[in-house]
Amino acid sequence: MKQYKWLIPALLAVYVAVPLVFGSDNYVMSLVIASLVIGGIALSWALLGNLGGMVSFGHSAFFGVGAYASAVLTMQHGVPVFLAILLAGVAAIVSAILMLPVLRLRGPYFALAILAYAHIFRILATEWTSVTGGSAGIANIPRLPAIGGFDFGSKTGNYLVILTIVLVFAAIYDMIRRSPHGLALRAMHDSDDATRVVGVNNTLLKGLMLLVSSFMCGVVGAFNVHYINFLEPDYAFSTLWVTIPIVAAIFGGYRTITGPLVGAVVVYLVDQLVVKSIIPTGHQLVLGLVLVAMIIASPDGLLALMRKFMRKKDAAA
Amino acid sequence: MTELIMQSLYSGLLQGGSYALIALGLALVFGAMKVINLAHGELVLLAAYIGYTVESKLGVNPLLAIPVAVVLVTLASAGIYLLVGRIKTNREINSLTLTYGVGVIITNLALLIWSADVRATSSSWMQEAFVVGPLYSMRSEVLFFGVSVVLIAGLWWWLSRSWYGRAVRAVSSNRDAAKLMGINPGFTELVSFIVAGIMAAFAGVALFSYGVITPAFGGVLTVKAFIITVLAGIGSIPGVLIGAVLLGIAEALTVTLASSALQELAGMGLFLLVLFVMPNGLFGAARRRG
Amino acid sequence: MLQLENVTVRFGGLTAVNNVSLQVGSGDVVGLVGANGAGKTTLFNAISGLARAGGRIVFDGRDVLRSPMYQRARMGIGRTFQIPQPMHELTVRQNLTVAQRFGTGTTDARRIDEILEFTNLTAKAGRDAATGLALSELKALEVAKALATNPKLLLLDEVLAGLETNGKRHFMNMLKQMHEAFKVGILIIEHDIETISNLCQRVAVLNFGQLIAEGTPAEVFSNPEVVKSYTGAEHA
Repeated sequence: MKQYKWLIPALLAVYVAVPLVFGSDNYVMSLVIASLVIGGIALSWALLGNLGGMVSFGHSAFFGVGAYASAVLTMQHGVPVFLAILLAGVAAIVSAILMLPVLRLRGPYFALAILAYAHIFRILATEWTSVTGGSAGIANIPRLPAIGGFDFGSKTGNYLVILTIVLVFAAIYDMIRRSPHGLALRAMHDSDDATRVVGVNNTLLKGLMLLVSSFMCGVVGAFNVHYINFLEPDYAFSTLWVTIPIVAAIFGGYRTITGPLVGAVVVYLVDQLVVKSIIPTGHQLVLGLVLVAMIIASPDGLLALMRKFMRKKDAAA
Repeated sequence: MTELIMQSLYSGLLQGGSYALIALGLALVFGAMKVINLAHGELVLLAAYIGYTVESKLGVNPLLAIPVAVVLVTLASAGIYLLVGRIKTNREINSLTLTYGVGVIITNLALLIWSADVRATSSSWMQEAFVVGPLYSMRSEVLFFGVSVVLIAGLWWWLSRSWYGRAVRAVSSNRDAAKLMGINPGFTELVSFIVAGIMAAFAGVALFSYGVITPAFGGVLTVKAFIITVLAGIGSIPGVLIGAVLLGIAEALTVTLASSALQELAGMGLFLLVLFVMPNGLFGAARRRG
Repeated sequence: MLQLENVTVRFGGLTAVNNVSLQVGSGDVVGLVGANGAGKTTLFNAISGLARAGGRIVFDGRDVLRSPMYQRARMGIGRTFQIPQPMHELTVRQNLTVAQRFGTGTTDARRIDEILEFTNLTAKAGRDAATGLALSELKALEVAKALATNPKLLLLDEVLAGLETNGKRHFMNMLKQMHEAFKVGILIIEHDIETISNLCQRVAVLNFGQLIAEGTPAEVFSNPEVVKSYTGAEHA
């Protein structure tokens, strides 16, 4: 229980202090909310990578499906926003179920297959105009509603909602990781037969991780849609939602749970505040460079690199 | 109606030549190094833009861009090989992310240098109609189809007859045994990257000569190349050829019979079909676990 | 409990197991011997589901030929690998936790402690399974993992190979105790004639994938056919 002593003050800080201090500054709040959205995607990506053992280059598929599902549900079927967000997560699960046959492909083939699926969804969104409004997109998507006097549609409201979503997902990730299922998942990457021979249904567990990851990513996509109130196919399925979370997760250390979140905040903030002012178009270039550099220097993330550096210094001293 | 279908088959066939070049490059590198170069489509993109630059800056026929493209793209390809070589652990997965990053770099460089505008060749020589009976095409399509055929035949000869070619096959089937026979796997892998680069260069100039290019289409090409390798099954050059032609034809038919907007969907549809119905591809060896 | 009828395993053109029929009843200890490459491990692979086979494999009254490996494990077929395959990234105790949870569907920490005691791994329970153990401990872990799934049938693949005399003796005692305490049927592959004679009521001999003899140890090891097939296969 000792490790949880920092939890209460941390929660207080993020739930109370941040809105109090920055609540009136729209710009800062926007940055924080956006980085939490990225963090949510990065978390779902890392979960799939770590527990599912699958590297995905197509998480934009789940993000986009969640976004469109929620938009359509609220605008064409009058579903309340919060419920729509949940259902959008379910829609993302359905899209993941369509991907299950791809599970039997080995690592690189799986990654590419997911990428292909992401393309398919993007094209479907562009062409299925009757439902999705085609390439023109959908505008005026409802904001988060006011409940019990508190307007969740405000900047602070949005912040609290995405914060909660991300924290809940982190908790779920942690729970799974510690459970026997999590243990089996971690073992099966290098010990496929060793787990099967004691009764683990490897395929089922991995499939479940795909579904969990897709749900999380879909919910984040849905939230995002009610935050920015606008949607179009090239945005919803943009490769940005593939690249930034991968860079964030790897930069922050994708083997941990906090890594992707910290990475998301850092990478996104640096990208928006520093890089974009220097190279407005093509600023993703820097993301690509960071990714390449990280893989070569320290695929386990910046923290791991720093720890190695510290150890070398200690050894030299 | 039949003329339309015949025309589609013909156009698809011609397009298949370039697709085959691209897919073969991807397959060659994978065979030699067990690495999928996610930036392969971007190499083709690079060549295409080199074609554009040569044409617009020097005012000459894009064919003359080929030597430049070959040199630059091969250098880039070798560069990717060097980067991949620096990966210390988990090469299979990390190389994916690494090459993906390289792809992002190239795509955004293209965006920076050439902007997002759609480019196409303005060479009338390239665009001139070339008629064979009732079948119509652009001169560039037929020309580059011929080039592809020559290159692929050359590749086939090289793989089966030359020492390097056999070395590549040896390394891909058993790396350690190959080492024992005096084959340097590192060098063989480099060679495969270089050959893939050469083919990508030709394919890029080809695509510029008869199609339209934007920075985004690098990623799309990688996906198509991958779809073709899935169609073909593992380790089969004839399979790649047939897969490439199939994809070209499927796309052409979709454009003719449905709409041009759904063109991309054709490939994806084929891909899903194969995944569900024939997971070993058309010619792949069965590799299911017991 | 286990009935093999005309089991055949083919890899391409090679027939590794050829028409083998064998029975193991609950409470039996049956030895499986033969020269290297005779097909013993392949037969184990067929029984546990790692290799595709033809013929009939009936376990506990059910035909398991089409059942995937994990299902056979849950039904009660436990198996050790000749080259130990610990579950990576997990500790010894976690290895057993996973085995128990998925092999039996329940969690029983006390039973895990018992098994750790029994296989002498209690001191190493917190060590990383893949990197923190000596060879004899890895082999003990193989047995422990299999035991954690509450098996009705245990397939032991050369658990003694590579151990020195003391280790061997300890293991043999453990196997005897295991048979009595846990009431499992055992099918054991070993090269050492003395061990087999000591442990097994029955012995089956494979040669080039075929069953060439079956009977008590005394009968089998005095059979000239068997002796002939064995020459050149003895290792120290």
